Amino acid sequence: MGHGGGVTSPTSLIGACVCSEKGDGEKQLQSPPMERPLETLGVWKRLTGTGESKAVVSEVGVKKPGKRKGTPGTGAEDRGTGQEPTTRLWNPTYARFTGAPLKVHKISNPWRSPSGTLPALRTSHGEVISVPHKIITHLRKEKYNADYDLSARQGADTLAFMSLLEEKLLPVLVHTFWIDTKNYVEVTRKWYAEAMPFPLNFFLPGRMQRQYMERLQLLSGEHRPEDEEELEKELYREARECLTLLSQRLGTQKFFFGDAPASLDAFVFSYLALLLQAKLPNGKLQAHLRGLHNLCAYCTHILSLYFPWDGAEVPPPRHTPAGPETEEEPYGRRNQILSVLAGLAAMVGYALLSGIVSIQRATPARAPSTRALGMAEEDEEE
Amino acid sequence: MSLVAEAFVSQIAAAEPWPENATLYQQLKGEQILLSDNAASLAVQAFLQMCNLPIKVVCRANAEYMSPSGKVPFIHVGNQVVSELGPIVQFVKAKGHSLSDGLDEVQKAEMKAYMELVNNMLLTAELYLQWCDEATVGEITHARYGSPYPWPLNHILAYQKQWEIKRKMKAIGWGKKTLDQVLEDVDQCCQALSQRLGTQPYFFNKQPTELDALVFGHLYTILTTQLTNDELSEKVKNYSNLLAFCRRIEQHYFEDRGKDRLS
Repeated sequence: MGHGGGVTSPTSLIGACVCSEKGDGEKQLQSPPMERPLETLGVWKRLTGTGESKAVVSEVGVKKPGKRKGTPGTGAEDRGTGQEPTTRLWNPTYARFTGAPLKVHKISNPWRSPSGTLPALRTSHGEVISVPHKIITHLRKEKYNADYDLSARQGADTLAFMSLLEEKLLPVLVHTFWIDTKNYVEVTRKWYAEAMPFPLNFFLPGRMQRQYMERLQLLSGEHRPEDEEELEKELYREARECLTLLSQRLGTQKFFFGDAPASLDAFVFSYLALLLQAKLPNGKLQAHLRGLHNLCAYCTHILSLYFPWDGAEVPPPRHTPAGPETEEEPYGRRNQILSVLAGLAAMVGYALLSGIVSIQRATPARAPSTRALGMAEEDEEE
Repeated sequence: MSLVAEAFVSQIAAAEPWPENATLYQQLKGEQILLSDNAASLAVQAFLQMCNLPIKVVCRANAEYMSPSGKVPFIHVGNQVVSELGPIVQFVKAKGHSLSDGLDEVQKAEMKAYMELVNNMLLTAELYLQWCDEATVGEITHARYGSPYPWPLNHILAYQKQWEIKRKMKAIGWGKKTLDQVLEDVDQCCQALSQRLGTQPYFFNKQPTELDALVFGHLYTILTTQLTNDELSEKVKNYSNLLAFCRRIEQHYFEDRGKDRLS
């Protein structure tokens, strides 16, 4: 299963699951996967932030192969990683807008996804799509199109604003979560380390951070001679400008193009939700965003409309801590046993190899002398 | 630039009027300059023409290294050197000339967004085509990029630049794209621009802005540059209003002023 070398994937943690086009979104979201193992097809994706992930999981009853402790319900969730920290939220948001039946499986190990990378979409025809843009295109082809009513010009505006966000906001998000030391150490690395399976959590977060740092440096190559602070200031200034521009464009409307949400709204929401919900110790950009009231209202509006579990889901994890934990029990126990076995095997192997313990096939008569010989040898060695 | 330095520079900039001997530096037009650099340079020239500011174009083989940010073009005005369209627009604004003053907030937001779109898609596609497409690299880019230098420097510099660009492409996710996908992106971008332009003379109706200058720079260069194949220019030619737009700006701002025909 391919791991790309670049930033794009192997370290991404998104998995999502998509149901086939049976039509009734709600019903499918609630039926457990066991009922139709072959018909429903998997996009292995984990939703980010906003508690949506938890909500979906509790509804669908999907088993979480990764560790997923009940979070304290702050609304700041484990975040999937990946090339675009926001596409994890973008795809399911878009699907929500269009009513596409989407089932989300959360996995924390990219190797388990059908295509080896996350997010991945497995359609009803069995093909696997991994690129976020293509996932959206596929949803459109299946007639779940949120941009149907847009005029040509609005479509052009969509493309333009998406470029703007990618150019200005994305580097800052990457910087905030991965490069900023305080945030990284206290929040991001902890999230990933907790969510990843055993051997990966030691080196994967560090590796991801290096990839992101390299990417950021490449993108703003000319700033390399100057120090980190200059780069940071420049990035944050551009991001603030971008947020202000978005706020101006939104004005007092409910969505960017009138009264119905479009793909641009999904896109913008995925960025803003990440920013708003994450509890970061170093939150300059968040402060600026909170100052832009129409954007905050816009986010909460979308949240309440399309992710209604967000408010309700906070109590369930507290009330049913046993549920998720018992599910984790087998995996936790299994990991414990495995690690103990591994330790034992290592110790025994070392003992055998270094001669502390030697296995001898000796006849009983000769046993004492050979044993004595064996011990004598050891004494000499030592 | 840090905020303080920027404020300082704008103060200085505001103090002096635009001199007569302002110069714009780019690489050698005939033998050296590449598609993307030509587009950028043309965009700046168009912008300055639209602002009615005189500028003289000077071609130097080492323009890229002279530039403070490593990118061409850059302008030398008074005792300041400013490179790339964004900072140049701000610099000119500090001197009191601006094309986008008449726009309201929403329009300004749209203008910035469209400029990012052009940079994101058109510029990256141009870079991809000239550095990552083997046919173009072998036939055109390597030869042109290293032309002012003796052997073996010409090869070394060309390979170094190519490696750098390829790394950047990989970082932004374009490394795995095929040429067809890139051309499709260009088509999408042109479609968006065409739809936005509609039947208006300029993007924001009657007056040109820096967006018009940028779009003109890129589209005109794509249309008039001879590459190994014509697919890129064909994509642009599909949109007649974009062609008319380029023609209009060329006629109005370049031919009418009696300047030489753009190459």
